[in-house]
This record gives sequence, C-alpha cells and structure tokens, in this order.
Amino acid sequence: MKLNKQNKHLSVEPSGWYWLLYIIPALLIYIIFMAYPLLDSLRLSFYTGSNSSNREFIGFLNFKKLFTDETLSVRYKGAFSHTIIFFLINMVFQNGLGILFAVIITTRTMKAKSFYQTVIFIPTTFAVLVTGYLWKLLLNPIWAGDTLSKIGLGFLARPWLGTKSTALVVVSLISCWQWMGIPTMMFIAALKNIPKDCLEVASIEGATAWQTFTKIKVPLIKPVIGMVTILTFVNNFNAFDIIFATETVNGAPNYATDLLGTFFYRIGIAGEHPIAIADPGLGAAVATITFIVLLLGVIPMLRYTSGDN
Amino acid sequence: MKKKVFFVMLIVLLTLSTNAFAAGSSETKMEKVTLTMGSWRADDVDAMNNLLEAYSLVAPNVEIEFKPTNPADYNATLRLQLESGTGPDLMYARSYAPGIELYQAGYFENCSDIEGLSNFTKSNKAPWMAPDGNMFAVPFAAVSHGVYYNKDFFMKAGIDIPTTWEDFLMACKKLQDMGITPLANGLADEWDILETFFLGALPNYIGGANQRVKYETGEMKLNDEKFIKAFTAMRDVAKYCPKGFESVTYNDSQALFATAKAAMFIDGSWSVGTYDGVGFDWGIFAIPAPKGNNTAICFHPDMAITMNTTTEHPEEAKAFLSWLCTVEGATTASKYLPAGFFPMINAPIAIELPQANEFLALNEGKETDARFVWPVLLALYSPMDQAVIKVMKGEITPTQAANDLQKAYENLDL
Repeated sequence: MKLNKQNKHLSVEPSGWYWLLYIIPALLIYIIFMAYPLLDSLRLSFYTGSNSSNREFIGFLNFKKLFTDETLSVRYKGAFSHTIIFFLINMVFQNGLGILFAVIITTRTMKAKSFYQTVIFIPTTFAVLVTGYLWKLLLNPIWAGDTLSKIGLGFLARPWLGTKSTALVVVSLISCWQWMGIPTMMFIAALKNIPKDCLEVASIEGATAWQTFTKIKVPLIKPVIGMVTILTFVNNFNAFDIIFATETVNGAPNYATDLLGTFFYRIGIAGEHPIAIADPGLGAAVATITFIVLLLGVIPMLRYTSGDN
Repeated sequence: MKKKVFFVMLIVLLTLSTNAFAAGSSETKMEKVTLTMGSWRADDVDAMNNLLEAYSLVAPNVEIEFKPTNPADYNATLRLQLESGTGPDLMYARSYAPGIELYQAGYFENCSDIEGLSNFTKSNKAPWMAPDGNMFAVPFAAVSHGVYYNKDFFMKAGIDIPTTWEDFLMACKKLQDMGITPLANGLADEWDILETFFLGALPNYIGGANQRVKYETGEMKLNDEKFIKAFTAMRDVAKYCPKGFESVTYNDSQALFATAKAAMFIDGSWSVGTYDGVGFDWGIFAIPAPKGNNTAICFHPDMAITMNTTTEHPEEAKAFLSWLCTVEGATTASKYLPAGFFPMINAPIAIELPQANEFLALNEGKETDARFVWPVLLALYSPMDQAVIKVMKGEITPTQAANDLQKAYENLDL
C-alpha cells in the first residue's frame, strides 16, 4: 500500500513550469552578457553626447546623420560598400579554395593528406597582428623589393597596400590566406561523411570527377556550405583586426580599406585622431544597422540550408 | 591565585604596549601620500620615474606613480576612468579642444591660481586656457619639427645645408642622381606626413600665429596663393621619397634613416633620442622656406599636466603642479624629460643632448607657431591630411587640394 502510494507519486507528471528551472542558469548568462548589452546598445543609438554627463535623447537623429551628413555619409557608404566587397572576396576565394582543397585532400589516391591539412591550417593559428605585420613587410617594396628583383619578379615590387585601387583586394586576400584553413577543415569533415557506396556506385556507373562533385558531393555537404557561408558573412561584416593590423584604423590609403568595423571604432570608441572624442550614440547607431543587416542576412540563409535536412 | 593575576596583568600590559606601538607606526605611515599620474607617453616610463624620484627629494612624503596608457587609447581610457570615478590624481592634458572638453565636463581642476604660471608666456599658456579664461593645466613640454640629415651623405655629395626650399629640392636631386634615396618619409600611416612634414613646413608659407588667426576667422582663404604654394611643395618633393613611399610606414621611415638607406627624414623632435648611437654623423636643420619667405618653425605645445577635481589629496597634487611651474622644477623636469621634449617655461634651460639643443636652437630669431589646425581648425585635420596624400600621389593638383580644403572649411560650423 505504502509502496503503491510512492509509485503513484513518482509517476505524477511534472507541473507545467518545471522545465523552466533547467534553463534558468543559461538564460541568466545569456540575458546578462548577450541580450542586455545588445538592447542597451540599441537604446544608446537614440542618444548623443560624449559621456554620461552630457548624454541626451535625440530619437532617430543619429541614423539620419549617418545617411545625410555630407562627410559622414560618404564615409559610411564607403565603409558599407568596402565591407560588401571584402565579404564577397572572402566568400569566393576563402571558401572556394577551401572546397577545392578539401576535395583534393579527401581524394582516395591523395598522398600526405595530414601534411597538406596542417600546412593549410597553420595560418589560422597566427595572431592577426602578426599576419598583418608579416604581409605588410612582404608587400612593401622597400623591404621585399631587392629580393623580388633578384629572382626576376621586380615588377611585383609595388606599394600594394598603399595604392587605392589595390589595397582593399590585397587586404581581403590576406584575410583569405589566413582563414582558409577553417572552411577547408569543415568541408573535409563533411566530405568524409559521404557514404563510400555512393561514390563507388558513381565511379562504377562511369561518372566523371566533375559530375561526382556537382551531383553527389555538393548536394550532400550543402548544410555545411550554409554554415560556412553564415560564418563568413558574420565574421566579415564585423571585420576590424586585419585592417587595424595592415592599414591603420583610418582604413588607409584615403579610406580605401575603411570597413564598417573600423568606421564604428573611429566613430563610437576611439574618436577620430587627433580630437579623439568618441560619439558612443552614433557608434551604437552604426552597430544597430550592422546588427539588422546581419539578422536579415542570416535568417534566410539558415532557413534555406536547414530546410533541406 | 596571585600568579594568575600577575599573568593577566602581564597580558593586558603586553596588548596595551603593542597597541601603542602599532598606533605609533601607523601614524608615520599616514603621512605618506601616494598619487597616480596618467599619461599617453608609454615610452617614457623610465624617464618619468627618474623625474618623479627627483621630486620625492623636494616632497619626501609624496610618492607619485606613473601609469601611462598606449598613446592612441589615452583619451578613451582616461575618459572611462574619469567617468567611473577611478581617474588618476594627476594626468597629462591634451592641448586645445580635447583638453577643454574634459575641463568643461568637470574632470580637470581649475589651475589658474598656481603662482608659477606667470613664468610662462601667454602664447605658451594659450593651448591650455579654456574659453572662460581659466587655465586647466600647467604647460609641461613642447615639440618641434625639422629635417634630420645624414652628414656623411651630405659630405659625399658635396651639399651644404639648404637655406631655401629650392636649394632643398636641388640637394634632393643631387642625392638621387648619386643613387641615394633623399627622403625617408612615407604615406602609409597618414598622420606623420601631415603632422611633421606639411604642418612643419606650413609656417614657411603663411607665417606665424598672427597670420594663422586670419585663416581661422575666414579673413584669408585656405585656397589662396600661399596654400597652393605649400601643396605644390608637397607635389614636388614626392619624387624624392622612397620607391613605394605609398606603403612606407612611420617605423619604416625611421628604419630607413637609421640604417643609412635614406639621407634625410622630416620628423618631430621626439625622435631625437631614437638615433643615438647610429653608425653615422647626423644633424638637424629647419625645413627651409621658399625664396623670398622667412623660415619659420612649427614649435608645438604638446604636453601639460593637470589634476583631478575629485582627488583625495588636492594639496599634494597642487604642490606638484606648482613645483613644475618654478624654474627649479622646470630645470629638473627638463633634465629627465626624454630628448626632444622641450620645457616651455620662460627661462634659459640647458639641454644635454647636442642634437636636441640643435633642435631648440632652430627657434632662435625665427617666428614659431603651433601646428596650424590645432588651435581652432582641428576638424580640418582629416581633410588636410587626405589632400596632402592625394597631391603627393599625383591624384589631384595642388590647386584642387587647396580648393577641397577651403570647401571643407566652409562646411564647418564654427
């Protein structure tokens, strides 16, 4: 009887709010460190003033200023378009090469796989400041020029990072060089998961390598391609460090490599040299717009790639 | 029983006496005051520690800790500290607008009643004078700008120190014909070409402070003949910069000059200590003015020190500032200041490093002024910088550059 009662008690369904207890710790951390700062920075974008004592509410004026102020809007549009170019170059070269290397490395007849894997992955372990500094020296004619002309490549000794027309492309390629290892690893992992019999059947049926790639491999690793795309999109829209390391926070030369990240840093955090009085409200407005763009970009990407599963 | 009482008495006595000793020692400790000092001169830790140690001979009960920040982050860091109430007791104050802003926000103390301030000339005080006429810091050090040159190269090429801009270009040509890179300056870091070169040379074209004011009020235009001539000088000199100077950074330039890969480098006086011990003989001359103009010097008020309005030890902080304003204090300070930072006090002070003395001697008999944009037109810094860089790259003509600058001026809300 007693036993029965206990059993009965145990089998009672937990009340409706029981599950909430389990997520409270994670929820608290998320709210304190993610949601609150995010919402607070949204709020900050409606204020002006360089410090808490002279802060005042100005509604949407910061946003208006970004798009209409004569010098500011030019810089902002410049930063926005440079960021898109930066993202596209990374998307095409970093991820394109990543997929190419992954396919080559996972080929059955490939030798010394782990060696190549390591070589491709090593740059991602370098600090961006180090990479930036090294490439700055390599691409600088006064340091690398002599060596280049000795091996008959003197025409390459040009101020790549100091020329307006080449700086952004070159910086983007430096970023590709550094981060290529990550998509490569992800694609290798995905390609290894493709069932062997699929590929065997394809080869028995006489499919060419290209057909196997487009008809079997790509469709099967599509979720990973989606994830890599999202990561590239988010990381590159927030890019700052590589420009800081190679071209100063002004996005030299003549703002040709100014990205949203450097623009935001100058406006909202450090202020422009030499006045160096930041406008956190205006900076928050830049960050808010970037956040919205990322949100609008990521949601369809997520739906597209996960919907197929 | 008796024993017990004695024992208790003993314990009571012991505790009393130790308490008394403790009280005594803590009393002497109380007198020692520790102040912190914020600064953007992270390179000067040793120099400043020596200077502050010298001050402890004057005020033995005060210890000042030098806590510098990375130069580029100083303004932002200091603001955060001040806002959160953790600001240093003493701190370096920027000249003109950035300093005035912190004074008006109530963080910098009004220093007007420090007696020694009468030891400074009006023009040396102006950079730290708020619009209300109060001084918000005491002037500490100024920097100058000039041409560093490699005497060995000049001897080899048989060149004398050029006294006009035309001679300067001729000298550059001669060096280049001999296969020597004449100038080490580059464009990659953007700030140095403007602050040391263009603004360093500008007084040669427009004159001193009394002329600068006319541009600030709009009486004279920034696209007049004088400015076009200054921009033309930048266009003409570009071909004497290193090959690929578009991507040469400030550090690259210093390295080029120090390794004798370039014959000259137009730089600020703060680098004068950098070339101590390079393997060649070097000196300094003023950036020469074009024929018909008088050579003038860009002598820029750079550093001042002020105190926090909320410091716990206002008396000790103020005493230190007052000491800096005495001739004795300024002499001690200049002894320990890093080479190339010059005292601003109105008294003859000897400087040890010969090249630093050479730098200071450039001022003699010449008009001097702060960097053109600093006093009022700081908002023109970026437009002017971009104009200089574009002219040197040949993307725009000197006339276009001057017109762009005038347009930027008209868009300011002064």
